[in-house]
Amino acid sequence: MLTRHVSRQLARYCDGQLSDAEARTVDAHLASCERCRKERDEVRFAAGLIRQLKTVSAPATVWEGISTQLDSRPAPQRWLTPRLAVAWLLGLLAVGAAAYWSIRQPDSRPWEVARLSDGVRTNMAVGEWVETDARSRARITVGPIGTVDVEPGTRVRLGSLLPDQYRLALARGTISARISAPPRLFFVETPASTVVDLGCAYTVQVDEAGTGDLRVTEGWASLEWSGRESLVPAGAQCQIRSGVGPGTPFFEDASAALRQALLDFDFGGGASAAVTTVLSESRVRDTLTLWHLLSRVEPAERGRVYDRIVELVPLPETISRVDVLRLDRDSLTRVREELAWRW
Amino acid sequence: MARVGPRDGEVSPDILEACRRGDRDAQRALYEAYKDKVYSIAFYFFRGDATAASDVTQQVFLKLIDGMAKYRGDSAFSTWLYRIVVNACVDRSRRWRAETSTEPKVLDEMQAPAASHEELLARSEVARSVQTAIATLPPRLRLPILLRYFDELSYAEMAAALNCSIGTVSSRLSRAHRLLARKLAPLVGAVAPGSLLKR
Repeated sequence: MLTRHVSRQLARYCDGQLSDAEARTVDAHLASCERCRKERDEVRFAAGLIRQLKTVSAPATVWEGISTQLDSRPAPQRWLTPRLAVAWLLGLLAVGAAAYWSIRQPDSRPWEVARLSDGVRTNMAVGEWVETDARSRARITVGPIGTVDVEPGTRVRLGSLLPDQYRLALARGTISARISAPPRLFFVETPASTVVDLGCAYTVQVDEAGTGDLRVTEGWASLEWSGRESLVPAGAQCQIRSGVGPGTPFFEDASAALRQALLDFDFGGGASAAVTTVLSESRVRDTLTLWHLLSRVEPAERGRVYDRIVELVPLPETISRVDVLRLDRDSLTRVREELAWRW
Repeated sequence: MARVGPRDGEVSPDILEACRRGDRDAQRALYEAYKDKVYSIAFYFFRGDATAASDVTQQVFLKLIDGMAKYRGDSAFSTWLYRIVVNACVDRSRRWRAETSTEPKVLDEMQAPAASHEELLARSEVARSVQTAIATLPPRLRLPILLRYFDELSYAEMAAALNCSIGTVSSRLSRAHRLLARKLAPLVGAVAPGSLLKR
């Protein structure tokens, strides 16, 4: 019986993780395919050997290091002790309803903003603007997940501050965000893109028309606008243009010729010649750029972009060129997963 | 391989809640629950480099503690934890490649207890060879192996931690096993065949 090889499923098969129907299909294939039987035996053999390794205990010095770092930080806000709770309740009774509203007040001004020149802090409401002049800087505390530094000449509107969504809107200027949170909790809207935090540190600057760029220094961020998405890892940047949205991301150490060609491709209209330059200038790391181009070039150009990727980073034979060229979503994801380790 | 540390749900909600409030004892309890799993992944990922493993473990728990305030229990704790572990390993490996030799280290502390001196030697050799072989896998194949065998993550958990599909996890694990088997072919016979060929 001639059926598709089952190489990709063998780990799940040997782990007993396939459904009964899937396992029967694999069984049937194995009965007639010597190559897959050999690979199944290899999976089992390797699994048995890996189990020879033992878990290694973390040395005590690791916690000591963690504890020292925690000690060096500002003390967290403590919950009320019983004694403080009694005092607080007495105070509350004494001032009555007025105290209730004074306690409610911070909830209506949830954003904490500090002037960096003198450290003066203030609480601001959703919808208010933070504006710095040509010499001043500010720091916005983004709930418990991080901070945003506002550079001179910047205008930022404070958006929602909810447990599952923190939003700022950058009208113009430069901000630097440092966020420690699960992906897609923190968003910065600009006139021509939304920056989505994927767990990272980055700087974004735009002018009032929405033209600017995003530079990521740690982790990942993405730029999203009208169904177009650019993934930007640490060390890379992405241009933003009014009316166009995010351009194609590239590493900051890419050649000047590649960078200029990308500008021509994204915003200049010199598509085919620009693609030729990008392909010839690309290194392994620049497959970041090439992967994005797969879905942005004209269909007739797509084949040579894919072929250049494979030339730089051989891909598993289980990834179908035909599927990639027709922009099959899963295939594009698999290509990205194979390449991302080199970015 | 014996499991150490808890599965999801084995760290009580009280501890997680106390961690959110910055309670140091609760943070320590969380650390104790997962430290050996996290350390082992980093240890084998970095080819037995104890310094790198310690640094990564420390970094992972500091990030975990920092981010605890907004963990609300609406997603698996392990998904978040192991995504931090994976990111920390990958981030450090980028710097580590430039700083260290590519020759894998081999540590005696990984030897399994054995009944006799001969068996001890045999097992030690096997463990050394396996560690070295794992160390030569590319990171995208090495991480699923470590997550599967040291933390016994399900395929869905691995997919979430590695930010890819279950099919991709299966494909990478299959390729990783086959590569390891070919690298370790000289060990055929060094371990009891019956223990290796069960489904």
